Amino acid sequence: MSEQSKDVCDPNFAAEASNSEVHSSPEVPGGPSLPASQAAIFPGPESPPVGPPDAPLASPAPQAPSEEGDPKALQQAAEEGRAHQAPSAAQPGPAPPAPAQLVQKAHELMWYVLVKDQKRMIIWFPDMVKDVIGSYKKWCRSILRRTSLILARVFGLHLRLTSLHTMEFSLVKALEPEELDRVALSNRMPMTGLLLMILSLIYVKGRGARESAVWNVLRILGLRPWKKHSTFGDVRKLITEEFVQQNYLKYQRVPHVEPPEYEFFWGSRASREISKMQIMEFLARVFKKDPQAWPSRYREALEEARALREANPTAHCPRNSVSED
Amino acid sequence: MQGSTRRMGVMTDVHRRFLQLLMTHGVLEEWDVQRLQKHCYKVHDRNATVEKLEDFINNINSVLESLYIEIKKGVTEDDGRPIYALVNLATTSISKMASDFAENELDLFRKALELIIDSETGFASSTNILNLVDQLKGKKMRKKDAEHVLQKFVQNKWLIEKEGEFTLHGRAILEMEQYIRETYPDAVKVCTICHSLLIQGQSCETCGIRMHLPCVAKYFQSNSEPRCPHCNDYWPHEIPEVFDPEKEREAGISKSNKRSLRSRQH
Repeated sequence: MSEQSKDVCDPNFAAEASNSEVHSSPEVPGGPSLPASQAAIFPGPESPPVGPPDAPLASPAPQAPSEEGDPKALQQAAEEGRAHQAPSAAQPGPAPPAPAQLVQKAHELMWYVLVKDQKRMIIWFPDMVKDVIGSYKKWCRSILRRTSLILARVFGLHLRLTSLHTMEFSLVKALEPEELDRVALSNRMPMTGLLLMILSLIYVKGRGARESAVWNVLRILGLRPWKKHSTFGDVRKLITEEFVQQNYLKYQRVPHVEPPEYEFFWGSRASREISKMQIMEFLARVFKKDPQAWPSRYREALEEARALREANPTAHCPRNSVSED
Repeated sequence: MQGSTRRMGVMTDVHRRFLQLLMTHGVLEEWDVQRLQKHCYKVHDRNATVEKLEDFINNINSVLESLYIEIKKGVTEDDGRPIYALVNLATTSISKMASDFAENELDLFRKALELIIDSETGFASSTNILNLVDQLKGKKMRKKDAEHVLQKFVQNKWLIEKEGEFTLHGRAILEMEQYIRETYPDAVKVCTICHSLLIQGQSCETCGIRMHLPCVAKYFQSNSEPRCPHCNDYWPHEIPEVFDPEKEREAGISKSNKRSLRSRQH
């Protein structure tokens, strides 16, 4: 395959791989291609998700590795990769690594992506290379491919390149239906309620919400900027730093105002993950009113929903990590 | 090595959704895990009988085995609640935290961890931890900042705070037991009953053996004259109650009813 000769690892391949996600993986020659979205029962004798036939390597690797064959060696390789996080001295540039080591890297990358996603942090391609792939950069394409396959088969998640421009990946749920998980463990993620409260305030105002206004609303929940909360901890830090870091909120100084005041806006991640209709539903729930009690906002939400449906007739909506608490 | 003779479990969308949600929540108590399991069945396979949780998890773990990850079950040290988390077995470092924290923050955690392991009670005082701030790797950290970082650890369920002292959260023990035993082989304490890592527990004043509080509860259950299993001296501590999930659930329901009433009043 010609792509193997490329030195620079191109995140684009993952986009190609995931676009054909559901039905086949054309980049895996001869490998089993099982669409993850089928409620497929994996036949017992099928080789494990990271079996040998799955390895499109640059070199004709003669050995038939069984990665379970020597877990200790793999563990050492993992430790080296993790502990140093720099090109390992034992790997001279052009010599291709053993397939088992690429498999190990794919596992590490899988875990890395899962944890980043769990923390709602951005999965940034350069970070992936720096923190996990390291000296195996030349083979990152096959590593990424293998990781995507594992994530799809075992977790039902798609590793999708959401923005080539910023080189951001995200994990998108591949199972239908998507919205129901909110019900599973309700009331367990209070952070979500807090965030939705602030986002809906901003939305209803139609512009940025001053920090004072936000605190007026939070006071209703018993939250004060100076008081530590048993669940949220330092609330002010949470909303002005953590939510901002995660791109759910923007916290900016109001121009030309003295003494300085700050206001909140929706962050880019909130715009991506949370629909206006969800905000309307949240408001309806909290205030026990019909969403149409905010007529212009409701109209906006309807229009957005229609636009989204037209833009993505068959594809999944971006995974909404916030609503699925 | 077992290799190809290992029986591979079967992954369906029920299992996949379960894994997704378990990963999302990080660590869950057994009651929540059971609810989660039922929810996944409801979504994908309404008519199937819900498999016994232990078998369900073993099934998934047999698939995860080749990926060096596992759904691990543990027990909280203070009150014996069963907890579950998806853990990575391949690494022997505090890898799960690594993406969350800066170098100096990770080092603060390591320092706190050392103090906790070396302590007699399993707790390290805030003061003692903060005094080590000058020795941290990476960017210089002030004591004030270190206090915030410690709170971050508590919020993320790596540490528990009680009256100004810190110990390890059940989640941290679950995820890092291997790392801890390999890094501090001489300093770690082990429970005589279950042989797992022990941070908090009770110890015999005569011969020094230690037991987890839930292990004490189970071992001495309905024993009016508790004696040390090793030296047979009287066991000098109060015997805690065995964790009863039924009682827990009732207490939890009445608590959450009160909570939801309150929230409607605003």
